[in-house]
Formats: sequence, structure tokens, C-alpha cells
Amino acid sequence: MRSLGIGFWLLLLLAAAGFLIVPSMILNAPLEEKMGLVQKIFYFHVPCATMMFLSTFVCAGASIAFLFKGSELGDRVALAAGELGVLFGVCTLTSGPLWGRKAWGVWWQWDARLTTALLLFLMLVAYLLARRYGGPAGRKLASALSLFAAINVPLVYKSVDIWRTVHPKTTVVRTLDKDMVPAFLAAFALITVVWGLLLLIRLRLERARTELAALRLEADELMEART
Amino acid sequence: MTKAWRFMRNAVLAVVALAAWSGTALAQEFEKVENIPRQEIPAGRFVSIAYGIIWLAVLTYVVFVAAGMRRVDQQIADLKRRLGNVGNVGSKG
Repeated sequence: MRSLGIGFWLLLLLAAAGFLIVPSMILNAPLEEKMGLVQKIFYFHVPCATMMFLSTFVCAGASIAFLFKGSELGDRVALAAGELGVLFGVCTLTSGPLWGRKAWGVWWQWDARLTTALLLFLMLVAYLLARRYGGPAGRKLASALSLFAAINVPLVYKSVDIWRTVHPKTTVVRTLDKDMVPAFLAAFALITVVWGLLLLIRLRLERARTELAALRLEADELMEART
Repeated sequence: MTKAWRFMRNAVLAVVALAAWSGTALAQEFEKVENIPRQEIPAGRFVSIAYGIIWLAVLTYVVFVAAGMRRVDQQIADLKRRLGNVGNVGSKG
């Protein structure tokens, strides 16, 4: 069994503490005046969206290392981050409509924030599909795609300030009631730790796959030498 | 009764029947109801589903990665054993 390193176990410990503490913090946080209980989706919806953004940036940064320096580690990090982007995209794009159904009366609204967020998610899905089915050039094609996804992130973030939308503006976090802040920060920290853990285990899997490929090559060479 | 009269009578009957039917249909559509409870979408259910989906998605991903890791580790162990055997046979020969 390959070691996951001390960092992994520390993060796991932090996550375990978070799972014990954060739910009670969210339960004890005050209700929002207009939306009531459903506003509590916010405590995980916003961190999930932020992790989708972070994953996209990490994917693009690692893709640059792969494209321009030929870094295999960069490629592995990009793949892991791309998958996490899709995972947290699913979380964001399902928790958001559930909140919207109660707060706005509709599951979905084709406004700037929701549409650009959906586009970002689809770009990340396209990244994974290009890698899997893109043939020999798939990795490079996907890496280029991830750069466009990263360019889309600031647009998604600022869309609520640029265009008139039903989605809360970016100021909602800065102007959060002081009694809601601890629960939000704790939930944010927990989701960030979970993101780190997932990245580490996904990287370990890719490392093992690389090792397996090297061993297969070695086995083939050995067989050839014997015949 | 001439043909024209019969036609006129049937047409009038048809119009009356149609009007009566549509009137009934409209009346059924806008039936009055009193003391209906105020319809509220239950927020608790939405919050639970949202949190449930998030953690279920994360858990599913962990299970998939763990299964992949187990499979790859197994393949590595098998390959190393086979390579070891081939090496031993080679050194004996």
C-alpha cells in the first residue's frame, strides 16, 4: 500500500473535526429574514462554486505546465483538478436550483450567472471528454480547452455585477451578518479541506497508473528479450 | 317539417348543447374553494436534498477513486510478482 503522506492524514483529521462541528454551527446560525431556512443552502453552495473555480484555475495552470514544459505531473494534476471541477460543478448546479425553486419560485433562470456557470461546467465536462476520447492529441486539445474554461471564471464571478440577474450579487458574502460569518467560514474551510483530500487521493491513483504503465512496458521488454 | 327547418332545429340544438357543455366546463374549472390552506414549499426538504446531493456526490467520487486505486494496486502487485518469477527463471537459466 502506497503511502499518502502526512499531509493527507492531517487533512483527514481536519475534515473529521469539520464534520463534527460544522453541521451544528449551520443549525445554530440565524435564519435569513426573507428566505428563511432555505438560505442555509448558501453555506455549502458558495464554497462548492468556489471550489469549481479553484479546480478550473488549477487545471489550467497545470495544463500550461504540460503544454509548454511537457510536465507529466502537470498533466496528472490537471486531470485530477478537472474531475474535481466537474464534481463541484454538479454540487453547485444542483444545490442552486433547489435554493432557487424556493426563493424565486423556479428551478432555473437563464440569467447571466446561471448560464455562464453552466457553460463553465460544460467546458470542464468537454475537457474530460476530450482527454478520454480525443485520441493521441486528446491531452493537448483538452489542455487548450482548460485555458478557455479559466478565462470564463472571472466572467462567471462578475456576471452578477455586470448584468441584472436574479442571483445575489458578489457583495452578499462581504455584507454577511456577523452571526452568520462563523458558520460560513467553517463550511468554507471544510469544503476546501475535502477538495484537498480528493485532489490528493486522485493524484495518488494517477501516480499508480503511471507506475503500472511503466511496469507493463518493462514486462513487454523482458518478454521480447526472452523470445 | 321541411328539410331547411329540420336543419335549423338541429343547428340550434347543437349550439345550445355546446354552450351548456362549455358553461359546465368553465364552471368546473373555476370552482370556488373556501378555507384552503396557504401553500408553502417546505424549505427543510430542499435544504436536506441539497446537502444530501453534495455529500452523496463526494462520497460516490471517493468510492470510484478507491475502487480504481484497489484495482490498479492489484494489477501492480500481480505484474511485479510475474516479473519477479520471470527474473528468477532467467537467473536460474
